[in-house]
Amino acid sequence: MSNLKASTEAPIISTKPKTKAPLKQRMRKHLVHLFLLPAVVLYGVFQLYPLITAVINSFYSWDGFSRDSFVGFQNFTTLLTESPFKETFIRAFTHNWIFFIVTFFTELTIAFALALVINSRLKGKGFFKTIFFVPKLLSVIVIGFLFSLILNPTSGAINVLLKTVGLDFLAQPWLGNTSTALVTIVLIHSWAGIGFSMLIFLASLQSVDKEIFEAARIDGAHGVSMLFKITLPMVMNSVMTMTILTFIGSFETFELIFAMQGSAGGPYYSTDVLGTYFYRLAFGSAEGGQALGLGSAIAVILFLIIACATSILLYYFKRKDFER
Amino acid sequence: MKAKGLWIVALVMILSIFVSACSGGKDVASSDDGKKDVKDGEKTKLVMYSWRPEDRSMYEKAIAAFQDKNPNIEIEFQPYKSTEYNTILTNALVSGEGPDIIQLRPYEGAKSIADNGYIMPLDDVKGVSDINEQFLDAARGSDGKVYGVPLSLNSAVIFYNKKIFKDNGIDVPTTYEEFLNVCEKLKDKGITPIAQSGRAAYLLSLTHAAIGPTAYGANDFVDKVLDGSAKLTDPEFVKSVQWMSDLKKYFPKDFVALEDNDAQTLLYTGKAAMYINGDYRLATLEDTAPDMEIGIIPGFAEEKGGTPVVTTWVDGSYAGVKNSKHPEEVKAFMEFLASPEFGKIFTDEMDRVSAISGIKPDNEIVSKLAEAVDQSSTPYLMLVHFGKGEPTTKTTFENALQGMYLGKLSVDEVAKQAEESYEKAK
Repeated sequence: MSNLKASTEAPIISTKPKTKAPLKQRMRKHLVHLFLLPAVVLYGVFQLYPLITAVINSFYSWDGFSRDSFVGFQNFTTLLTESPFKETFIRAFTHNWIFFIVTFFTELTIAFALALVINSRLKGKGFFKTIFFVPKLLSVIVIGFLFSLILNPTSGAINVLLKTVGLDFLAQPWLGNTSTALVTIVLIHSWAGIGFSMLIFLASLQSVDKEIFEAARIDGAHGVSMLFKITLPMVMNSVMTMTILTFIGSFETFELIFAMQGSAGGPYYSTDVLGTYFYRLAFGSAEGGQALGLGSAIAVILFLIIACATSILLYYFKRKDFER
Repeated sequence: MKAKGLWIVALVMILSIFVSACSGGKDVASSDDGKKDVKDGEKTKLVMYSWRPEDRSMYEKAIAAFQDKNPNIEIEFQPYKSTEYNTILTNALVSGEGPDIIQLRPYEGAKSIADNGYIMPLDDVKGVSDINEQFLDAARGSDGKVYGVPLSLNSAVIFYNKKIFKDNGIDVPTTYEEFLNVCEKLKDKGITPIAQSGRAAYLLSLTHAAIGPTAYGANDFVDKVLDGSAKLTDPEFVKSVQWMSDLKKYFPKDFVALEDNDAQTLLYTGKAAMYINGDYRLATLEDTAPDMEIGIIPGFAEEKGGTPVVTTWVDGSYAGVKNSKHPEEVKAFMEFLASPEFGKIFTDEMDRVSAISGIKPDNEIVSKLAEAVDQSSTPYLMLVHFGKGEPTTKTTFENALQGMYLGKLSVDEVAKQAEESYEKAK
């Protein structure tokens, strides 16, 4: 908001003769900057300050209560080279990648397909749009709780349903099996996020000039060729945005896993991601054991991963943009 | 017209600021007066932190009993959610603007707070020296001084449904071998022998605490741990893990995916006959299923006819914050917590065993358990002696057990992971 004000008012003043502007006007010119202050203060207190503190903390050892001594990069080397920290870190990091890849192929593709369907000449568009968006309105904790009930191995709806229709062999302890737990949670996450992605894609599709599609159709584009040659390139910007947002979301993911599997990322660390690992190190368990230095180091590494990967993705997509 | 309107608005605003400033001044003055009143009556308010919001009614009764004798001390019970307690407490202690009385996590949790100098030593408080030395260990600093008054003594026990045992002609087992026979019999009848859940890994180490001591030789092994000659990879300890692995066939199907609530439901509905947890679950079980007759197996004896060994640990204790403005009043309350009067209120309100010696509980089951504890007890090995490290050896061990049940680790690997974690934490 305040940015907007500054940029709209500044040019008006600068059009007046620059020499010897009355004192009052010069004051006003500077006064304008004051409008930025609330935003700067909020950003500073809630974004910059914690970030800087985390970076500083990651270079110190902790005694559980207060900062102890400066240890340089020791927290980072401990995390990345010492057992069992190294193994836990690599496992959690891999799970974050699985999280991203599965979300990308389920949430984004299904959302895009839904957006295409809704963008076509479908009856009751508004109704479907609302229905698909509803899960986004639920809190993550509520979603976690509901799905824990649905996936309960003895009384949960999914297994009861599978057994009723005679598919007993498919009934699984979905969240209690190391091979299914992570994917199950990612699918729940995707289900919850489809509505939002769909709206972004839909908005992007609707902003494309209809004449382009008609022209392509006259030129003989149909079905798949229309999708890959015309539709996708036209909405590439939104695909790019959603890919980057999904990447950031996948590496920051924490709430759903914490709500469903606890901070240990159970069973046997099969759903452990960097977020839950960070939580365990920084805040410990009921029996104590806080290692804020190590926790902060994870936070810093996480920040660097997201910043680097986002820049690379942005650079790649921007270049593609120019090539077109 | 417009200008006139603006003037009126401005006037109203100025007036309202003036009025509110005046009334604000009055408020300040009156609150000052209030403070003076308190000082005149010498009434002191102490703030007390706890991680047990569910125990409020017991504390209200206890505090009322305390105030009968100390009318000038007011105590405000401020509980927080257990999972958030550590963070809130740490922040309060570091900022120095915290409570006067705090609940301490046992063993390593208490030690780290004591060693950092946040709480006052309580050795000279009346009643503290009468408490069992072993219980006081839960609240000792590295300097050997006592920093907390232990509240309760928890035991890892096996609950059983008396009716199912009676209907199937099963006697209550007293040794591990008898226990296995009982499990086998129940399984043959189509009843799940043990309602175990494994979603939260700590429940697995709790089951190990109830079953394990007989396997590793209870206090003999604990003594070896204390003098440093025992390893978790020693055959005695590996045997206890083997026993855990053997019990898998008596647990419900897919029990690693089950929550503690699901396990309790199996017991309530009569689908399972036994349930292993801390004795503090008794009140919950009795409240939820008042018609079910519950019995407790406190532990196993080495041989038939022997004394059962009960696994016990102190759950929490109360400490006085060093920089409290009212240290004398805090100590008066500590003295009350260490008195038989509080012990009696605690045990009868909570159906749990008090850490204060010589308290006779009203509840029959609790009373029997307290007797068994008096006869022979062994500490909850993982919690009491393996609570160090990042992550702690206890956490490593229970997660490894979960891995074992999922086929990811062998029995030996579980012991090895725990030993490696212990070596690192030393």
